[in-house]
Amino acid sequence: MSGLPAELPDVFTGELLLGDAWRDHSFGGRRVAIIARGNDAVRVLPDIAWTARSVKVFLDDPAWVLPALPVPVGVAVRAASYVPVAGPPARRLLARAHLRLAVRDPWVRRLLTPDDRFGPHPAARGDLFYSVLQQAHCTLVRWPVYAVTEDAVRSAEGIEHQVDCIVVPDPDRLRRIPVALATAGPRRTREDRSA
Amino acid sequence: MTYDFEAMLQTIKDKQWSLADIDWDAPGAEEITDEVRARMQPFMADLVWIEHVGARGFASLAKKAPTPAIKEIYEYFHAEEQKHANAELALMKRWGMLDDDGNVPEPNINVKLAIKTLDTFGDSLPLTGLATLIPLLECALDGALVKFLLDEVHDPVCHEVFRHINSDEARHIAVDFQVLELIGAGPLHKLVIESAANLKPQVVLGLIVVFTPLISKMRDNIVAMGLPEQKLYNAVKRFGSIGGRGEHTSRIPAFHVLKAQAAMIIDRSSPYHRLLADPMVRITSFVPAKVLGKPQSWTEEITHEPVAP
Repeated sequence: MSGLPAELPDVFTGELLLGDAWRDHSFGGRRVAIIARGNDAVRVLPDIAWTARSVKVFLDDPAWVLPALPVPVGVAVRAASYVPVAGPPARRLLARAHLRLAVRDPWVRRLLTPDDRFGPHPAARGDLFYSVLQQAHCTLVRWPVYAVTEDAVRSAEGIEHQVDCIVVPDPDRLRRIPVALATAGPRRTREDRSA
Repeated sequence: MTYDFEAMLQTIKDKQWSLADIDWDAPGAEEITDEVRARMQPFMADLVWIEHVGARGFASLAKKAPTPAIKEIYEYFHAEEQKHANAELALMKRWGMLDDDGNVPEPNINVKLAIKTLDTFGDSLPLTGLATLIPLLECALDGALVKFLLDEVHDPVCHEVFRHINSDEARHIAVDFQVLELIGAGPLHKLVIESAANLKPQVVLGLIVVFTPLISKMRDNIVAMGLPEQKLYNAVKRFGSIGGRGEHTSRIPAFHVLKAQAAMIIDRSSPYHRLLADPMVRITSFVPAKVLGKPQSWTEEITHEPVAP
């Protein structure tokens, strides 16, 4: 578990699903956090969002996402993308068009645009990703995750996101999360406060 | 000696804090009398929005960062500025400055203009321009506003929050100026080209129509609240003095432009105020918010709830 702190399983009291453990798992009625990098999130989100009550995608470093195209077009495009030199930019162009058409909000689009300056990002198929991500029960969080507490994920914008279940599809590819906090500070939920 | 950005990144990660660490219902809120509340409300609202605009500035910087480590630092700074805005909003909530639904107060027109400009042109600005502008804002904020707030308000929670915020801001300023050093140490032709790119009309206009009245308007609000103008000016002066300490920063033309503007801002007898800044505040006050279009969706992400269900 290179990207996650070693004490995480002891600290987090909810369900922790690493690697492929999310497959065939029922998330009915649960609040799920997906902590993932680029393509991993694209891979797991549609299945999890199908059953979960709410999903927060803590997305680190988004990747290019390619749409599903009708067979003849798709085959032609796929063939074109294997052309030496011109192939990869063509794939990126297609992915960029997909993003532009699938996500209307310019800020969300900006959050989902990969930064290729320090190494190109691969483009993978994920035709449902954008549409699922924009469903009402899914939230995209691009703030860096800095800690996991007993029942929540903390990101650097200072907010604690309470979840029942954390899915980490590929812990090895994750940017290191620094700490797991056993004791949280004074905590009052919305209900306590109004009481 | 080169600055160790990796070590700074690690420090930043180690020093993270959360709104959930703070007991927002602790005693002390009664320190805020009705009179203080009415006086402070617009000031706090400005503060929240300026932090929020600063956050957007760091988001643009992250896209321009020269190395992966600096990029990650900027991503954290973006989040931290958002955190400061959230924390200040939570303070407003604690002091009863928000309406019953806890809505975020509406920004004034100058802030709205800044949001629109930054959102439209921020990502296309060369690094030198934005990286020089942000520390100026940070100096003004950090030095004057926050100190003033702590002198005025004796709520222990407020002091706890601003202890965190100040230590974050100290790191922001340190990194901002180290990045300027890094840029300044770069090859001359790159500096010249980037500076020429800074002369795009939207940038020059942005500086005059957006930045100039924003600073002056803030000054007016603060002075109306009772802060000695001199304190703000001392804080702005720090921008020039910290930057001047660097070995290479003075090679950046944008630094000199902003330093000159800072010098004019703090000289109350300068024609800058009479001929440019004060008329600009008046003119922009006539701009209807409608022409700026729909608010950007990132301005809605700000919240006073420390825990999201």
